[in-house]
Amino acid sequence: MLPPDPHRLPPPSAWFARDAERHLLDRPRFCPMCGEGLDTDGGITTEYWAGDARHFMTWCGECSWFGEVVRFDMVTITEAEH
Amino acid sequence: MLTVEQNEELTRVGPGTPMGELLRRYWYPIAFEQDFDTVPTKTVRLLGENWTLFKTPKGGRYGIAAEACPHRNASLTYGVVHEDGIRCGYHGWKWDFDGNCVEQPAEADNENFRTRVKQKVGKAEVMGGMVWVYVGPSPAPELPRFDVFVMDGVKDVGHATLPCNWLQIMENSVDPHHVEWLHGYYFEFLGQTEGFDAPKAFQKKHLRTGFEEMEWGILKRRVLEGGSEENDDWKVGHPLVFPFYMRVGGAGIDQMQIRVPIDDTTTWKLFYSNHAPEAGVWEPQDRPVVYEYRWRDEQGRFITDYIEGQDIMAWVSQGPITDRTQEHLGRSDAGVAMLRKMFKENMRKVAAGEDPLGTVREKHDIIPLPCERDKFGAEREFAEAFITMGSMRYSPNKQALLDLHADAWARREGAKAKA
Repeated sequence: MLPPDPHRLPPPSAWFARDAERHLLDRPRFCPMCGEGLDTDGGITTEYWAGDARHFMTWCGECSWFGEVVRFDMVTITEAEH
Repeated sequence: MLTVEQNEELTRVGPGTPMGELLRRYWYPIAFEQDFDTVPTKTVRLLGENWTLFKTPKGGRYGIAAEACPHRNASLTYGVVHEDGIRCGYHGWKWDFDGNCVEQPAEADNENFRTRVKQKVGKAEVMGGMVWVYVGPSPAPELPRFDVFVMDGVKDVGHATLPCNWLQIMENSVDPHHVEWLHGYYFEFLGQTEGFDAPKAFQKKHLRTGFEEMEWGILKRRVLEGGSEENDDWKVGHPLVFPFYMRVGGAGIDQMQIRVPIDDTTTWKLFYSNHAPEAGVWEPQDRPVVYEYRWRDEQGRFITDYIEGQDIMAWVSQGPITDRTQEHLGRSDAGVAMLRKMFKENMRKVAAGEDPLGTVREKHDIIPLPCERDKFGAEREFAEAFITMGSMRYSPNKQALLDLHADAWARREGAKAKA
């Protein structure tokens, strides 16, 4: 169950609006390092996709932690050439 | 994708906005020296505000003040320029370079009134044939003397005003992958359709791209098909210079791409090039050659048969302020995400009273920036394509530039043969 949407959403006519709502709501909202809110303390999370995985490039405005949080369905390992 | 709020925060450049406050910590080119050859004033727009830029008649000193006179908002551009400031043409109120009101002729020398009014002013200086201004809080930082603007060579500046937000142009600078598609595949398609030879150097596939934060911004590296990490494209790379430039070059051409945020939906886009090929010979220049490049045809369609025209099609067609709530970023957009983080980080620094990235406080002669020399492993072809297939094709000096590079190439080949 997703929480109430705290964001202003794109106009309903925008083709991605419903999907946008979901993506805005189920992304990291707190810093993995210090736990501060990423929306309220000047941080930023930018989502990009790599195959099925959703990557959230995350910077915390409070502690300056900069890294990625990744949501995936299956753990995959790419073997180095051998 | 971003929220509506995040997109607005990253794209609004007016006074009092977080991005506007950050951007007001930097110097911008806003005019050329020759703009003042016949008139002493010019209205310029920067960061959502109108300004009067002026040059004093004898000393040649430049000043910048908000265009509206604080008396009753008449334009100072139609004022009288004195050695110590500018006088409004409407009622003669005179303003010095620090924004002090030094005369109010009709107010019978009422000093109390004079000291109560102040004009918003900035700083203005000349570098590389352009007039640069700073309109942020004091103390103003030093004007950064980046290498391209002060190095010896033949200078050439193409410029145009584009109807889009400056950030979508900046995001293009951390998107190396577009080169092989927009300037490679699409260019080739256009060439085959319209019957011209598209440059091949841009068609090489990217095998690896890297983004590294550095003292001036983000250093961008790439390994192209047939190349390795030993090539300049990876070993040296080239930087996005925070917050509104990109430094590119190769094959004896050094270029600074400049994106001046005029307002939320307008960007002054300059390609400032310096040509100094090894073994080349040139006459000293008084000023750069300046010209406007075209980007729309008579039917209003984008002109896409040259490199920068293709970029402009992409930037402008994204919309006046592209709606980032509707985007789908992929792995190859990691540089875009990194740039947004850099802007947020520096907005926060400014809010905390600190200097943002790239603020220069020390006097200096030149700031060298890293930039690959051997571009895409295609030196001669690259120089020719840069001139004939880029915005420089609109330069009135195009043939002279081609001759300069051809002559330098011949000299280098001659020297090699002798050796």
